[in-house]
Amino acid sequence: MTTFLDNVFNGLALGAVYALVALGFVIIFKASGVMNFAHGSLLLLGGYLTAVLHDDLGFAAALAVAVLVTAAVAGAVDRFLLQAGGPDPHTAHVQTIVTIGVDILILTDLSRRIGGDLLSLGDPWGDSVSGLGPVTVADSRIAAIVVSTLVIAGVFALFRYTSWGLSLRASAEDVEAASLMGVRLVRVRTLAWCLAGALAALAAVFLAAFPAPGLERTTGQIALKAFPAAILGGMASPPGALAGSLLIGMTEALVAGYQSDLHVLGEGFGDVAPYAVMVLVLLVRPTGLFGGKAAVRV
Amino acid sequence: MTARTTAPPELTVTDVTVRFAGLTALDAVSFTVAPGSVHALIGPNGAGKSTCFNVLSGLCRPATGTVRLGDADLTRLAPHRIAALGVARTFQNIVTTQGTVADNLMLGRHVLSRAGFAAGALRLPHARREQRAHLDRAREIAGLTGLAAHFDSPVALLSYGDRKRVEFARALCLEPSVLLLDEPVAGMNAAERARTVEVVHAVRAELGLSVVLVEHDMGLVMRLADEVTVLDFGRAIAHGTPDEVRRDPEVLRAYLGTGAEGEEDAA
Amino acid sequence: MSERLSRALTSRPARTVAAVTVLGALPFYLDAFWLRIGLFSMAAAIGAVGLGLLSGTAGQLSLGHAFFLAVGAYGYVWLAGEPGPGLPTAVAAVLAVLLAGAAGGLFSPVAGRVRGIYLGVATLALVFLGHHVLLTADSVTGGFNGRSVPPLELGGFSFSTDSELTLLGVPFGAEERLWYLGLALFALTWFTARGLLRGRPGRALVALRDSETAAAVMGVNVARHRSAAFVVSSMYAGLAGVMLALSFRRVVPDYFGLVLSVDYLAMIVIGGLGSVAGATAGAVFVTALPLLMTRYADQLPLVAAPGTTGGTVGPTEAARYLYGAAIVLVLLFAPDGLHGLVRRLRTRLRRHRSAPPPTPTTSRTATTSPTPSPAPAAPAKEPTP
Repeated sequence: MTTFLDNVFNGLALGAVYALVALGFVIIFKASGVMNFAHGSLLLLGGYLTAVLHDDLGFAAALAVAVLVTAAVAGAVDRFLLQAGGPDPHTAHVQTIVTIGVDILILTDLSRRIGGDLLSLGDPWGDSVSGLGPVTVADSRIAAIVVSTLVIAGVFALFRYTSWGLSLRASAEDVEAASLMGVRLVRVRTLAWCLAGALAALAAVFLAAFPAPGLERTTGQIALKAFPAAILGGMASPPGALAGSLLIGMTEALVAGYQSDLHVLGEGFGDVAPYAVMVLVLLVRPTGLFGGKAAVRV
Repeated sequence: MTARTTAPPELTVTDVTVRFAGLTALDAVSFTVAPGSVHALIGPNGAGKSTCFNVLSGLCRPATGTVRLGDADLTRLAPHRIAALGVARTFQNIVTTQGTVADNLMLGRHVLSRAGFAAGALRLPHARREQRAHLDRAREIAGLTGLAAHFDSPVALLSYGDRKRVEFARALCLEPSVLLLDEPVAGMNAAERARTVEVVHAVRAELGLSVVLVEHDMGLVMRLADEVTVLDFGRAIAHGTPDEVRRDPEVLRAYLGTGAEGEEDAA
Repeated sequence: MSERLSRALTSRPARTVAAVTVLGALPFYLDAFWLRIGLFSMAAAIGAVGLGLLSGTAGQLSLGHAFFLAVGAYGYVWLAGEPGPGLPTAVAAVLAVLLAGAAGGLFSPVAGRVRGIYLGVATLALVFLGHHVLLTADSVTGGFNGRSVPPLELGGFSFSTDSELTLLGVPFGAEERLWYLGLALFALTWFTARGLLRGRPGRALVALRDSETAAAVMGVNVARHRSAAFVVSSMYAGLAGVMLALSFRRVVPDYFGLVLSVDYLAMIVIGGLGSVAGATAGAVFVTALPLLMTRYADQLPLVAAPGTTGGTVGPTEAARYLYGAAIVLVLLFAPDGLHGLVRRLRTRLRRHRSAPPPTPTTSRTATTSPTPSPAPAAPAKEPTP
């Protein structure tokens, strides 16, 4: 029973972190119709900046700088590369492939800098643990759940109560109508990218924190698991992305936790379990669990 | 490879209702397209004409009601199955694919040809023979629609009117028994309009097919149509010959009163 | 007269003969390093043509190509090797290609119904799940260390260095022999892919990409054609996998990761989506660049010799920077890639030489000629009726 609760808690924490990544992915998709394949390397960039700055600035300031810089880079990628030809929604698939090129560039550079090292992000939780009822959990995981919940609530409030959120939802419904109503598409889009970049940088902290060994060059690839979460949620639905993230996090934690009973699937199946879930769901529902018509619109 | 010789089957639309998110786009619409006739669907913008076309071509499934072509029930068929039964359509906004006019017209021959992936990859003799034969027929149809000179030109280089004609010719390439034309002259100038009317007359005489027409240009509807169905807010409010419809008081109120506006939108 | 002669010399059959002659003569002049670049390029070109059919022609993004390359490579090794059924190698090669196609077919419920860029994420799953299987199914794949590849034998002729062979004073080792196998397989790929593209299936796929609605209304069975494109693309990937395995002589799981999938995507984007020649050019570029940069690292500015550490730019990284940038630049400034650049140059030259193409009849067109039309330098020569 304790093992089970342990695993559930781990799944919750993992899901909360994936939710930060998946939410950013979905915000970008809603705003620009682009699937941002550079999302993993943006996350790695945020983590790397926190790692190299925390010695001089302290963790909080380093994280703040990392979040801002990653947001700025994400915004710049959108504004100066993707929207170079104007915010044309018909070229979204081309822009999607451009993000793959951007991913190669950022990832190559960061991998070269990180090399084979494991970087510490200097987070305040270290390897301390707390007793939570019958289970013992890492403080970093509690922090992951608390921070993600607060941040995600904040993002949903942005959606609902700010003019930016309104504009974003309007332009996701109908680009032409939104522009006729005076929505400044270019800015709405770029801000969405900035927000997504910031969320990714934040997620990096928790992906590299205890019990993970630290930030490595493959951390960005871990973030790719948030993609299935977004797909399961139907791509264009932020609440769907949250549900997808929890499902993915839970699956991964449970498969890893019951590894010994699942040895037919091979060692380390937990790491790829999210993809297996995605394939299974897509076999039954090609538009995702919460997908509306967006995925099949002709 | 040649045009069909028998008369086209009757197209019957019975009590078709379509709802989008609580909005009723079509409300128990019924009409019948007599074999070989030109049947016009008219009505103000948003009356449900395009939705009706989408139902006929299988892009949209009605909540209730049936669409039959002769003995075949089209209501629940996928678009490609409906195409294979001989229903072809054009679109209000031009939807051509990359490549030359010939490429586009050959797409229209898709359901009439059989060469699959293996035959295409290995360039088997029967696949090449088939392609040649269909190319000949596509060239004929290009001639019929006044595209002969552009047969090998990229579609992207053609004028607006010519591109609309490419869509028209591509639909004809299916050798359809029923042809659905969605605003075939929208955005054309007077000369291009006149030419399109000629072509519709010509193909009707030569290929003996039924035509369903959505059009805002009333003059053109009155000249071409044998029968007219008037839609308003998703309901069919009148049927009849152009003359009958023109005199129907309800139509005058619902549609022709705002006719000028309709024409502006079409241009 | 000279014009006609130059026409004849640049005609298609003439060019084909010239290309085949040159490519066929190369093993007599190049050393193993260059031949190996050629082998990897040919294998990559076969795979890239397959991905081009799927992503370029049918508009279905795939990041799962590495998985099908792995199915081809490992399928061959297992079928021809020990442990494994130990089939005759030629049979194993054919079956490996079919196996890759079958793997693509198994995925077709997803590949047929998930559209465009969505498929890109769905196919990520194949790469990660595939890699996991390669690592854990030791008895078939050899696990982390992989397996060595049995050399191909065709009618008693071995594509390896096992038996001595000297032709015209040139010793024929594995590279020289595989070169001709690669040429033959590439020719097969070229022939079949162009046949596909120019025939009924190719037109249907283009229509699907440009407008799913129009394609469906014109009678194209959307799901079936998407699945078929996926299966065909997987088979080309399988063939490329077999060729890669033979060239590497050892297969290891880590090679078939996400990076490889991205490499193939880079090839078709840089080459120009939707053309066989473009995919080939892109494949050569992406394959040869890192190898050449490694070889000539000491002569290149800004690039450190391989093996040096500490924040310097190694040749492999330099190559990745270059083609990452190439993807971005190509898509932003020349969306039809290398192939499009060449085609535009050729159109320009032709316009200088002969009559201008028919111009649009009215000026109300939204789209005009993609090239700024230069004034013909010489008076146009109309063909006499």
